[in-house]
Amino acid sequence: MKVFLFGMIAEKAGAASLEATATSTAALKRQLETRIPDLDKLSYALAVDRVIVNDDRALNGTEEIALLPPFAGG
Amino acid sequence: MSENKTHKKRDIFVEGAIAPAFVAESITKHATQTSIGGHEIFLGQVRADAIGATNAIVRAIEYTAYRDMANEQMIAIREEAFARWPITCLHVHHSLGTIAVGELCFFVFASAAHRQPAREAVAFVTDEVKKRLPIFGKEILLDNTHVWKENR
Repeated sequence: MKVFLFGMIAEKAGAASLEATATSTAALKRQLETRIPDLDKLSYALAVDRVIVNDDRALNGTEEIALLPPFAGG
Repeated sequence: MSENKTHKKRDIFVEGAIAPAFVAESITKHATQTSIGGHEIFLGQVRADAIGATNAIVRAIEYTAYRDMANEQMIAIREEAFARWPITCLHVHHSLGTIAVGELCFFVFASAAHRQPAREAVAFVTDEVKKRLPIFGKEILLDNTHVWKENR
């Protein structure tokens, strides 16, 4: 699945997106926290198909995932 | 460019700063809507804060967004605003790219028959956009370091 990265997370990863394989949001977070420097220390939200998900949720691999650092609009 | 309850614009983002002339044109377009009795506008401007480890002054903010999610969130906020207040129309624009200090980056514009719903809708929409839209701001300082902006 494609994982879109934004703001300081994209900066830390040195990329605007990456490919990952995971069967749940919790597993995906654990994996990404080993792949993106300092992600475990940052405040971020995970969005599945453009909706923020706080609980652990099963993934089938077709979802659009995004890691969202704190918002700064306005 | 006309926009009302049945004709929703789907993308709030504009490349670069919002020109004051664009704000004036937006007001002008409402002259034919004679049921309107009041307009309320919020304009966000990039501020020269002193921040970061070096306490340097901000010279610009570089905005990026998760554009599809932001526009979906905006549709939900619009629907909430129209459900709560008797407003005639609501327009929201936000900048992407590098916006210099003193330039406009955010434009919220509500019109209604009377002033109170227009005022309340603009206050609500402004706050909700800041809270709910995945927009990211890199504050670029005069010493060329940067700090990631965070809404409080």
